[in-house]
Amino acid sequence: MTSQHIVSSFDRDLESLQAMIMKMGGQVEMATANSIKALEARDLELGEQIRRDDKIIDQMDEDIKAETARVLALRSPTAGDLRTVLSVMTISSHLERCGDYAKNIAKRTTVLVDLPQINGTVSALRRMSRMVERMLADALDAYIQRDEHKAEDVRLRDLEVDQMYNTLFRSLLTHMMEDPRNITACMHLHFIAKNIERMGDHATSISEQTIYLVTGELPDEDRPKGDSTSFDTSNEDDD
Amino acid sequence: MDQKDIKFRCHGVQVYYGDTHAIKDVDVDIEDKTVTAFIGPSGCGKSTFLRCLNRMNDTIASCRVEGDIRLDDEDIYHRDVDPVQLRAKVGMVFQKPNPFPKSIYDNVAYGPKIHGLAKNKAGLDEIVEKSLRRAALWDEVKDRLDTPGTGLSGGQQQRLCIARAVATEPEVLLMDEPCSALDPIATAQVEELIDELKQRFSVVIVTHSMQQAARVSQKTAFFHLGNLVEYDDTNSIFTNPQDPRTESYITGRIG
Repeated sequence: MTSQHIVSSFDRDLESLQAMIMKMGGQVEMATANSIKALEARDLELGEQIRRDDKIIDQMDEDIKAETARVLALRSPTAGDLRTVLSVMTISSHLERCGDYAKNIAKRTTVLVDLPQINGTVSALRRMSRMVERMLADALDAYIQRDEHKAEDVRLRDLEVDQMYNTLFRSLLTHMMEDPRNITACMHLHFIAKNIERMGDHATSISEQTIYLVTGELPDEDRPKGDSTSFDTSNEDDD
Repeated sequence: MDQKDIKFRCHGVQVYYGDTHAIKDVDVDIEDKTVTAFIGPSGCGKSTFLRCLNRMNDTIASCRVEGDIRLDDEDIYHRDVDPVQLRAKVGMVFQKPNPFPKSIYDNVAYGPKIHGLAKNKAGLDEIVEKSLRRAALWDEVKDRLDTPGTGLSGGQQQRLCIARAVATEPEVLLMDEPCSALDPIATAQVEELIDELKQRFSVVIVTHSMQQAARVSQKTAFFHLGNLVEYDDTNSIFTNPQDPRTESYITGRIG
């Protein structure tokens, strides 16, 4: 909706809610990028900062929830306004979870610095994380621009993230089978990969909120999925 | 979803006041045992259309109604139809309370008496009490049933009119802004009453309160400049209207 409300303070409320979401999105994007940077550089200080800054993200989520409750109670939004408020509430939860994953990556980094490096894994994680960071940024852009096509594009890109995760999963299995001394590091790296993969899912869900906001309907569950690891066993021959 | 019977079938309805084309080619089916809300800005034709449903527009000399309006498949504008009998079946509550200058008791008893709905005084007493209870007015007036209805407060008068309208057990109840003079408690009581009434018949309500339409109705029709812009499940109208004019109106943007 481009036209304005007769009561202009209602417009200001909705604008402020969306500004809060964009600010939170920026904070989460930064935490995500930094978490991989800290892992790569084995930068414990940066890791510590991410863990501290997650409190800011949590606070933003709480503020957004309080503000949406206020708008719902005082304005009784309907139609597109209602969908705006509901989507803000949902997206805030997704962003908050992404923040938790970044924090978790930072936490695992503190363990990984003392363990042997696993060849090629960190660069694969970086590629995967770049992809997810772009998805997150595009998902938020699509949201603020009310662009359901862009949102749909983000949604489809999740397949690639899933495939990267599958590849990494197999490679980590191989490393663990080769040398059991790698297991601790590989387990942590695997959880990091899973965290990034989950962030991709949250970016996808944010895109779905954009589609809901614009069209009034959530998209069907017909998106191609690439995570097949839950069907895998440790024996590759079973595939 | 179970399929509801259609109470009113309206097709190609046009209403003119002199040269003014007030209702433009409206098609709408009103379901039985359902609350249907008509919403729209002032002057959009929603009250005019409501008044077509029990031929209240007959009394306006310059008003001309065209098209087909059928109640239970009978053309209500057919020359054999007696408007008085029609209005016993299709009751109405107006925006401004208009009790008869009679006692509270007689206001409610009047309809059942002329239509012969009660066998004796006890039967009539029962109808009066039941109707006043349904309109959430009984407790306030039970000790002064013989005092004039016009002596009640505005909100009480409106509930008296609702009691009067339901006393004849109509099949359809038309309500034109029934709560605009009521406080929130009386409004809630009337809304509860509307909800109860829909178990047995169809209610059509014109309201300026969007929240009221959302709360009480299952179907909502949005009128704008004499056109029926959108008619759908209330849920759809308020979460995902299809027409931008509906969206502008219900979200409080000028349409």
